[in-house]
Amino acid sequence: MSVETRRNFGTVRLPAGFNGLLPALVLIVLFFVIPVLALLLRSVTEPEPGLQNYAALLGDGTYARVFFNTFLVASVVTIVTVLVAFPVAWMLAIMPSALASIVFGVIILSMWTNLLTRTYAWMVLLQRTGVINRTLIAAGVIDQPLPLINNLTGVTIGMVYIMLPFMILPLVGTLRAIDPMTLRAAALCGASPFQAFRRILLPLSLPGIAAGGLMVFVMSLGYFVTPALLGGTSNMMLAEMIAQMIQSLLNWGLGSAAAFILLVVTMALYALQLRLVGARRMSGGI
Amino acid sequence: MKLIITGVLARLLATTLLATTLLATTLLATTAAKAEDMVFTSWGGTTQEAQTKSWAEPFTAASGIKVMQDGPTDYGKLKAMVDSGSVNWDVVDVEMDFAIKAAKDGLLEPIDFAAVPKADLDPRFTTDHAVGSFYYSFVLAWNKGAVSGEPAGWADMFDLKKFPGKRTFYKWSAPGVIEIALLADGVPADKLYPLDLDRAFKKLDTIKSDIVWWGGGAESQQLIASGEATFGQLWNGRVFALEKDGADVGVSWNQNLTAADVLVVPKGAKNKDTAMKFLAAASSPAGQAKFAEASGYAPINTKAKAEMPADAVKSLPDAHVDGQINLDMNYWAANRDTIAARWYAWQAK
Repeated sequence: MSVETRRNFGTVRLPAGFNGLLPALVLIVLFFVIPVLALLLRSVTEPEPGLQNYAALLGDGTYARVFFNTFLVASVVTIVTVLVAFPVAWMLAIMPSALASIVFGVIILSMWTNLLTRTYAWMVLLQRTGVINRTLIAAGVIDQPLPLINNLTGVTIGMVYIMLPFMILPLVGTLRAIDPMTLRAAALCGASPFQAFRRILLPLSLPGIAAGGLMVFVMSLGYFVTPALLGGTSNMMLAEMIAQMIQSLLNWGLGSAAAFILLVVTMALYALQLRLVGARRMSGGI
Repeated sequence: MKLIITGVLARLLATTLLATTLLATTLLATTAAKAEDMVFTSWGGTTQEAQTKSWAEPFTAASGIKVMQDGPTDYGKLKAMVDSGSVNWDVVDVEMDFAIKAAKDGLLEPIDFAAVPKADLDPRFTTDHAVGSFYYSFVLAWNKGAVSGEPAGWADMFDLKKFPGKRTFYKWSAPGVIEIALLADGVPADKLYPLDLDRAFKKLDTIKSDIVWWGGGAESQQLIASGEATFGQLWNGRVFALEKDGADVGVSWNQNLTAADVLVVPKGAKNKDTAMKFLAAASSPAGQAKFAEASGYAPINTKAKAEMPADAVKSLPDAHVDGQINLDMNYWAANRDTIAARWYAWQAK
């Protein structure tokens, strides 16, 4: 530290509102930044200094498959979530507000129920001897149980269900901010309902889709419980692999490297989206 | 700009230090409170309940030392505690192959056999760093309503024609499934080791899409009881519990495979001496007899069976030594990491 800096130490001017930010910053530095640095350090020092952990992860077919699975599941979940959430959000946006708050309540209520309980409930519904298969067999629709669990189908169903609120909430905000007159104007100019949707509603709601989609995608990347219970071993995702490395193989160097790669990929995605959509629009403002 | 950043960093650093000190003081204050009490960690569920009733409660009654229960056992946590020097667990129930490996890696305290009487302990499950907890067998169990006929042995689990439907195996890389595949493929019991992994995985490939994996004891019980899996490889204690609950299950002890859990003391445990006293009580004939009666797992103290009711002895793995195979814990300890890497790679395929 130079002499000049020390002399000026007392008169440093902090950005406005910095003092209010301080508790959160301390918390983040203490419980996030420092651990992440420790993680990075571990990944290049265990079992010996060097990049061998990263070389092992990126050069091995098994790990490549797990990375691929992780992105495949996260992508499928994000797409399906958007498709299911959009009509719900649109309905919520145009509904009378009293009714909308009831529907909101129902959606939020599901988030307050324990995650494990909800996942086990899906197990009961989806398994071969579960409610869905039994009903379909009894009704004569199928004669062999459908494979709904221990595969990608099971993971997608379970995760979309959990992710829906995270997509619906930002989307409703964006849709409500769209002036209904724009759609009427489109109709007056001769646009078909589909054209109005594709050229007016969809582009205007893009920031909400992007914000919700990113949140769902990023949360899905690191998901553990649902894929572990509803997926099969051949759909193993990164979080489960990291747990294996840490808990059962005690290979912390490799586990740290995998966790760090996941973090870097997530941040890169976030940066990319900031560029594409713009920070202001991401936060809901248009 | 530089000035602002330096100032911010200085402030941040000061606050962080303060917060860390506060946190550390609080943590110290809470852990230093009771020196004599100890913490026992196991796998939860019916097994840990039986351990609490058979070992911890009588131990507390006799010594006045409180035994706090924690769980489930987590090898990552155990290593983290030893590495950081802040060990909160005094006695931990672990799988024996892990114990042998962990002792080699310096994660465990040596057992003080001056405090733990060794003479009557089964030497198969006693090492310098571990005392047996109990031993169990992997057995073939099935749901009588869901399976057609009676499976007779491990080979039937690979016969999709005779026994269609899902079968369930233990999910994690551990002694058991590899051996089952080799036995089913015709490898004689005395020629199992060293394990021919290529051959085992080739055999497992033939039924891979019909396997449902179970990750914990309760899951294995649920799969069999509901018929979701028609039959599978289960811990004998879990089948015992199903039978006690009146579930319609069948069991074959043909070529049952024994493995063991052992009790260890993590390196740097705060109450080492108390831990040794607890080990003495847990491995005593009375402690072992009580636990075996409650769980259906076999005692590791050779004098324990004399203290058990005759009908309880009948359901133990000891009653089925004919054709019984001891899984080789030392082989597994030496090859744990190599096998695990291949195991998880194969599963993910």
